[in-house]
Amino acid sequence: MPVAGPRRVRWGVLAVFLTPALILLTAFVIAPILGTVAISFECKHGFCLKNYVDVITQQSPDLALIYPPGFGGPPPWGALIHNIVWILIHVPLTTMLGLIIAYLLKDTLGGSFIKSIIFIGMVIPMVVGGLIIRFMFDKYVGIVPKIFQFLGVKSLAITWTSYPQTALIALILGSVWLWTGFSMTIYAAALETIPRDYIEAAKVDGASERQIFFKIILPLLKPATLVVVLMTILWDLKIFDIVFVATLGGPGGASTVMALVMYMYFARELDFAKAAAVAVLLALLTLIPGVYMARRAVKG
Amino acid sequence: MADVRLENVVKRFGKVVAVDHVNLHVKDGEFFILLGPSGCGKTTTLRIIAGLEYPDEGRVYIGGKDVTDLEPMDRDVAMVFQNYALYPHMTVYENIAFPLKIRRKKLGLTKEEIDERVHEVAKMLHIEELLDRKPGQLSGGQQQRVALARALVRRPKVWLMDEPLSNLDALLRVVMRAELKKLQKQLGITTIYVTHDQAEAMSMADRIAVMNKGRIMQVGTPHEVYYKPAHVFVATFIGNPPANILECRVTQDGDKIILECPGHREEIRDPELADAVRRAGVREIYLGMRPEHIKILKHPEPGTFKGKVYVVEPLGSEQIVDVTIDGTVVKVKAPPTLSLQPGETVYLKPEDWKKVMVFDKKTGKALKGATP
Repeated sequence: MPVAGPRRVRWGVLAVFLTPALILLTAFVIAPILGTVAISFECKHGFCLKNYVDVITQQSPDLALIYPPGFGGPPPWGALIHNIVWILIHVPLTTMLGLIIAYLLKDTLGGSFIKSIIFIGMVIPMVVGGLIIRFMFDKYVGIVPKIFQFLGVKSLAITWTSYPQTALIALILGSVWLWTGFSMTIYAAALETIPRDYIEAAKVDGASERQIFFKIILPLLKPATLVVVLMTILWDLKIFDIVFVATLGGPGGASTVMALVMYMYFARELDFAKAAAVAVLLALLTLIPGVYMARRAVKG
Repeated sequence: MADVRLENVVKRFGKVVAVDHVNLHVKDGEFFILLGPSGCGKTTTLRIIAGLEYPDEGRVYIGGKDVTDLEPMDRDVAMVFQNYALYPHMTVYENIAFPLKIRRKKLGLTKEEIDERVHEVAKMLHIEELLDRKPGQLSGGQQQRVALARALVRRPKVWLMDEPLSNLDALLRVVMRAELKKLQKQLGITTIYVTHDQAEAMSMADRIAVMNKGRIMQVGTPHEVYYKPAHVFVATFIGNPPANILECRVTQDGDKIILECPGHREEIRDPELADAVRRAGVREIYLGMRPEHIKILKHPEPGTFKGKVYVVEPLGSEQIVDVTIDGTVVKVKAPPTLSLQPGETVYLKPEDWKKVMVFDKKTGKALKGATP
C-alpha cells in the first residue's frame, strides 16, 4: 500500500469553491452583524458605551431590562428578568412533559396520532400561537379561566393577559403548550434508538419498570435532554412573536421580553443605536448556550 | 440449579406460528442447545423461557415450578444477548453489579458483598483489569465476557444464551466455544443456548434440539443427531458440509429389492437396509450419505454412482469435491492427494452401506440411521 504523504493544498481549487460562499456570507451575515455592533456603539461624537449604559439603567417599566422597583411584588421586573423567569419555568416543564408524553405514548395504540396533535403546536406560526394563547386565557372564551371558574377560584377566572399578576405566567404556560411538541418529538426519536435488548436485559436482571426508566432509559436519553434544554433556552431568550401578539409586553411592561424591548426602541422610539445595543446584549446571551452546544457537537 | 420443562408450548405472531407445540425437558446442569436455521423459532422458544414472551398455549416449568405467567425477574434466569446488551452509560463494574444492586434488599446483600461477588466473577472471566472501562472501550470478545459475567453474578438457576458467539470473529469464536463449555461444566448451571451454527452446537452441547418451522425435529446427543438423524431435515442441517440426499425409487423383484437412484441401479445387498425399506413398505426414499463416507473412484465398479466433477474446493487437509449425478449435486470429502479436474467423469462409492441413512420421501422420517 502506498503511504499517503502530506497533501498539497491547491489554492486555485480552494478559491473557486470558497469565494462564492464567502461573498454571500460576508454580504448577508457578517456585514449586518458587524454593522449592528457598530451602530450600538454610535454616539453623537464617535463611539461610546452610552447606549449600553442607557438601556441597562433604563427605568421606564416597558423598556427596562432590569426594573428593581418591581422586585418583591408582581411584574414588571424588567425584560431580562422576565426572560430568565421564562427559562426557569418553561425549560423544566417542557422537558418533563415532552419526555413523559413521548414515553407513555411510545408503544400505545394511537400514540402517533396523539403525538401529531401535540406536534401541531410546533407547526403553526408563532403569531397564530400567540393569538390562540390570548383566547385561551380570555375570561369569556378561554378554557383556562373557565376551568378556574368551575373550580371556584374566582381570582383566576379572569382575562389573564390583562393583569400584571398573571400576564407573564399566561404567556409562559402558553409557550409550554406550543413548545412541548418539540421536546416530545426529540424524545420520541431518541427513545426509538434505545435497543430493545437493553430493556429486556434489565427485565431479566430483575429491574422494575421504575428502575428501568431511571437507571437505563433516562441516562441513555442524556444527549436528547441536552438538545431539548439548550434549544428551549435559546428559544426562550429569543421569544418575541407570541408576546407581541398576545400582550405587546403589557400591561405596563409586565410581560415584556428582551426582543420586544429591542423592537420598541427600534419601531416606537426610533432609537436605532439603543435597539442595536439591546440586540447585541441579547445575541451575547444566546451565545452562552449556543457555544456550549456547538462545542458538544464538535466533540461528538 | 434446576431443570426446565416446556409442555406443548405454542406461540403465534399473527398468522405465523413461531413455536408449534414444543415439548422439551432440559435436565439439571445440562448444556442444552436449540439449533436451527433463522426463523425456526429457537430464539422465540428461549424468550418464552426467559419470560420475555408469553406462550399462547402450553406451560413452562423451571425447577418443577410453573413459571408460565411469571415476570422475567421472578424466574431466576439470566440471559446473554446476541449483541450483549451492555449498558453503554455504565462501567464494566456497574454493568456486572447491576443485577445485584437493583435487588440488593431482596437478596439481602451488603455493598461489600456485592463488591466481592463482582470481583469474584470478574476474576473467573479474566476481566478484572477492565472493570473501570465503559463497554464502548472494549473489544467484542471482552464485551462478551462482561455479558457472561453479568449473567453469572446473580448465580441464576438457568443460564440462557442467544447466539452469544455470533458477533465474534471466527478465531475467537472457536476459543470462546471451548471456554464457555469448560465454564458451564465447572459451574454446573443448567444452560440453554440458541445457535444456528451446527459446529457450535456439536462441539458444546450435551444434547441438541434441532428445530425447523417452529417444531422440534429431534432431540439427542451430538452423536445421535449426526449419525441417527430422525428426519431428513436434521441430516441436511448437521455436518459440514451436511449429508447428501439422493432421491431413489424402490422396486421389489421377488425377494430382491432393487434400488433405482440417479446414475445407479442395483439390488440392495445390505440386509439391514433391505429390511428397513421392506418394513416401511415405501416406494420412494431419500438416501443420505455423509461426505466423508463416500469414495471417489476414477473407474467404474459394481454398485457405484456415475457422476461428473463440478468443482473442487481444496481445504488443505482435505478437499471437498462437488460431483453432479443427473443434476443432483453430491459433496464428497476426498484426500488432498487425489487430483481431479472439473468435467471429469468419476464414480462414487459408499464407503460402507451401513453408513448410508434412509428416509421416507413422503414424511421425511428416518427409516434407518448410520452405523458410525
